[in-house]
Amino acid sequence: MITNPNEYLLSVEGIDTYIGQFHILEDVSVKVGKGSITVLLGRNGAGKTTTLKTIMGLTPPRNGRVIFDGQEIQGKRAFNIANLGIGYVPENRAIFRALTVMENLKLAERKKGDLDRHSEMIFELFPDLERLSKLKGNQLSGGQQQMLAVARALVPDNKLLLIDEPSEGLAPILIQQMMEVIRKLKEKTTILLVEQNFIMASQLAERYVIIDDGKSVHRGLMSDLVLNEELIHQYLGASIQAPTKTSEAE
Amino acid sequence: MSHSNKKLLYTIIGIVVVAAIIFGLYSYAGQESFIRTVLSGLTLGSLFFLVAAGLTLIFGLMDVLNFAHGSMFMLGAYTGWQFFTNPTFIFGVLPLILAFAAGVMLVPVIKPMLVRLNLSETWQKRLPKLMYLAALIVAVFAVWKFDILGLADTAMVAAVTTSSNPLAELSAQEPLLRFMWRPLLLMISGALVAVGISKPGDRTEITAAEPLKKRLILPIVLFILTIVFTLVRESAAEAVLLMNGNLRFLLAIIVATLFGFLLGALIEVTMIRPLYVRSFFIVLMTLGLSYVIRELVSVLWDPLAYQMVRPPLFAQPGRATSIADWLMNGYSTISIAGVTFPTYRLFVIALGFVMFIFVTVLMTRSRLGMIIRAGVQDPQMVEALGINVKSVFTLVFALGVALAALGGIGAAPFLPVQPGMGDQYQMQGFITVVIGGMGSYVGAFVGAIILGMARAFGDYFALKWQLSPTIAEASTVIIMIVVLLLRPQGLFGKKD
Repeated sequence: MITNPNEYLLSVEGIDTYIGQFHILEDVSVKVGKGSITVLLGRNGAGKTTTLKTIMGLTPPRNGRVIFDGQEIQGKRAFNIANLGIGYVPENRAIFRALTVMENLKLAERKKGDLDRHSEMIFELFPDLERLSKLKGNQLSGGQQQMLAVARALVPDNKLLLIDEPSEGLAPILIQQMMEVIRKLKEKTTILLVEQNFIMASQLAERYVIIDDGKSVHRGLMSDLVLNEELIHQYLGASIQAPTKTSEAE
Repeated sequence: MSHSNKKLLYTIIGIVVVAAIIFGLYSYAGQESFIRTVLSGLTLGSLFFLVAAGLTLIFGLMDVLNFAHGSMFMLGAYTGWQFFTNPTFIFGVLPLILAFAAGVMLVPVIKPMLVRLNLSETWQKRLPKLMYLAALIVAVFAVWKFDILGLADTAMVAAVTTSSNPLAELSAQEPLLRFMWRPLLLMISGALVAVGISKPGDRTEITAAEPLKKRLILPIVLFILTIVFTLVRESAAEAVLLMNGNLRFLLAIIVATLFGFLLGALIEVTMIRPLYVRSFFIVLMTLGLSYVIRELVSVLWDPLAYQMVRPPLFAQPGRATSIADWLMNGYSTISIAGVTFPTYRLFVIALGFVMFIFVTVLMTRSRLGMIIRAGVQDPQMVEALGINVKSVFTLVFALGVALAALGGIGAAPFLPVQPGMGDQYQMQGFITVVIGGMGSYVGAFVGAIILGMARAFGDYFALKWQLSPTIAEASTVIIMIVVLLLRPQGLFGKKD
């Protein structure tokens, strides 16, 4: 648990983000401790994805600060922010369809040789990708695309990964696989996760932030949240249930 | 029927139809006319490709329809023609452009200092405007009574006279003592613009993180080039004219292409970049730009048509029996399978094919090509990977314009060089892109060949059946309509 504020790798402080005339985020604050997994929870359309995009510089905030690794990054262009060491796995995966798997990975290099240095680690996590390396992005299944999207974020040395809904649209067995991968990644890097699948989120993350209607309304330790069924029900909806003993067993 | 079977079937039908058309034309026209017409078609197709390749790359990546592309083609022809015939104008103006650029390129050097200034908000807004105004005034003083029309006239004279002495037409530049304050003032003017661009006092601006040494390289290089080219204005022109004609032509091609590249980059950064959010305005802007460029050229060189002399390799009257014979003796025509064909047009065909290979290698083998192919689909994600998409846009626009300029200088020795020479090629370029599929360079190549053939055979039949020659032009539009009806996304386009 983090007590010293300097230990935060990322700290989002009171950001307001507009898309066109719509006020999407209002005074959202998120703190991510070094070497931890923090998850953003909330209903569909609450503003979780926009929070990630705002951190990434894709939808710059109008007010507030985003501090990454000791420097203010709000207002910087997305490529500058990425080059500071942030990897982004968007919710729609955004695999380049016209590029092969290998090219998709190669494109993510920031320095020459990034891929060579990390390919062993990447293909160990995702053995399928090595086999598929010559296929084009549009020939991959949804699950394979998701693997590739995560793998792409591992090519350069990233200090922070922003991962948006890694389980979305995946078969249960693939969700398990993806969870394993993210758990392994935690040893090397810091992760800010958006995840609708509460079971997955609760097993991976140490801390949570609930975003509701564009505001960050609640935060704390995951271990506390899983016991607070009322809170879960209020903000995350009836569809999401607290994990039971059976689903926790692997 | 499954999707892939359907595709196979259509491909087979396509091949059969094309083969039938080729066979039909061959047996109707006879071997000689057929070969001659095909070669003419390839020549036109080559030029169409050079125009269409840039259009399609630019459209594919940035969704920009560049209506000034034909003007870039024309400017390429003018630049190459000037450099080849009499570079007095180019070397006379070059130091001024370099000087101004050296001043403007100071932005990364002075910006970090200027943004830290303590200025009130009104002054933050006012200062850049004052700087631009001051820059304009200084620039006016810099070019005061500069005889640019006289300089432009030099090549016009050279174009109409023939002389055995290559230096006969070379005219004097302004004396150095009178000239030298012009680049100096322009450099100051450029620096004032740089101050304006830097947005003094605006702390939200992000400044370059590179060390000062690295930021100084470009302005210093430009500064040195300015001095050098100020001193060699006359001797450089002389040296170029005394050069072997073929070498001079090669240099003219390089100069025109490079000019296109830099002009493209300049236009993208200053005029197109601010308009990406309002893409319709880009169409109007480029359309307006094409008129401005054409009028400027008309002012400088009068709206006349000039004929550029062919370089020696293609100039010797006579007919070569083989390619080796031609390369040895520089004959103007060559005999191919019994058909006499101008050697220069063979060169244009080769140019088109070489550039197609170049674009193919660029798109499939290089990192830039990878970025372009990815950026066509999702520029935001490319940016999120840490790639500066804005500068990639600039580079692609510059490359596209460079290809058009290359087409222009390629066409200069056999088309009249005149302000409107690019219009037709721009039109055909757009039709090519529509036929081939927006954003596909392979489509641009195939479309260009199809259009070239349509034009050539259209001309052939118009002559044979005594029809109006406009039938050839109309045929390309008819092909476009047929393609749009059968395959709206173009032959090689992808459905969205």
